[in-house]
Amino acid sequence: MNDYLSLAKILIEIGILWFVYYGILLFARGTRGVYILRGVILITLIFIITRQLGFERINWIFTKIFALSILAFLIIFQQEIRRGLANIGQRRWSRFFLKESEIISEITTACFLLSKKKIGALIAIERETRLENYIESGIEIDAKVNSELLITIFMPNTPLHDGGIVVAGERIAASGCLFPLTQNPKVLTTLGTRHRAALGLSEETDAIVVVVSEETGGVSVAIGGRLTHDLDRESLERVLSNLYRPDKKNRK
Amino acid sequence: MNNWIINNFWIKIVSLTLAVITWFYVNEELIKEKKMVKQLYKSSVISQIQNPPYNKKPVK
Repeated sequence: MNDYLSLAKILIEIGILWFVYYGILLFARGTRGVYILRGVILITLIFIITRQLGFERINWIFTKIFALSILAFLIIFQQEIRRGLANIGQRRWSRFFLKESEIISEITTACFLLSKKKIGALIAIERETRLENYIESGIEIDAKVNSELLITIFMPNTPLHDGGIVVAGERIAASGCLFPLTQNPKVLTTLGTRHRAALGLSEETDAIVVVVSEETGGVSVAIGGRLTHDLDRESLERVLSNLYRPDKKNRK
Repeated sequence: MNNWIINNFWIKIVSLTLAVITWFYVNEELIKEKKMVKQLYKSSVISQIQNPPYNKKPVK
């Protein structure tokens, strides 16, 4: 009985540690900070290994680097840590009453109507990585996702049509948002700014970014730094329903 | 359930590995600490037996 209890304790402790690490990695994923985080993890692992193997001098050096890296980490990630802590309090954990198919259908309808008229569009759908920074760069809308509104926003010569839309949870969070352009040298030079922004955002976050080309009317999706061109309605719906489902957040 | 496992699979595996490594590392450190405290306690008890404080002459 005692053995079971101590085993359960160990599992719970490892579970708590896993949860903390998972949260940190998810939070850092998609930001440039992930490279620094990788460095810190590597230094920590070397520190632990050298300590276990009894390499005293190497361990001494890594102890000093480790102490410095913690300080550097706190300074470099000052803003992110502050934002992360604020997010813990703000996060809505309830994921009930999701209307995912409705939202996907509205987005798809809007994209293909815009495609028909060859009107450019850029729609980022938030998943686990928060797009708060990008939402702040645009104009807050906070409206229910519907195709008419999406089409209206992207109408040329209107104040909100420049930039992208961020869909967070069941709401259109903001429009006219600025997304980072991809710095990948392998990306074709023929790609326009809208596609470059879609790729850039998908490289930095786990968002699904849907682009409608102004020139060809083609609908593309950028996920994880990869762009899939010329999707038809069914493919877009399939992609969105496969990827959007697990990470939807009920923001409002 | 299946989706939950597949989604961010590698991040989950890396976090689990880190969690297990951290747990074992901290566990070992705690065992070392306990041993050290025990040894200190033993040595202080032995030294007290060998040189009881009442045997000491007061410092003038």
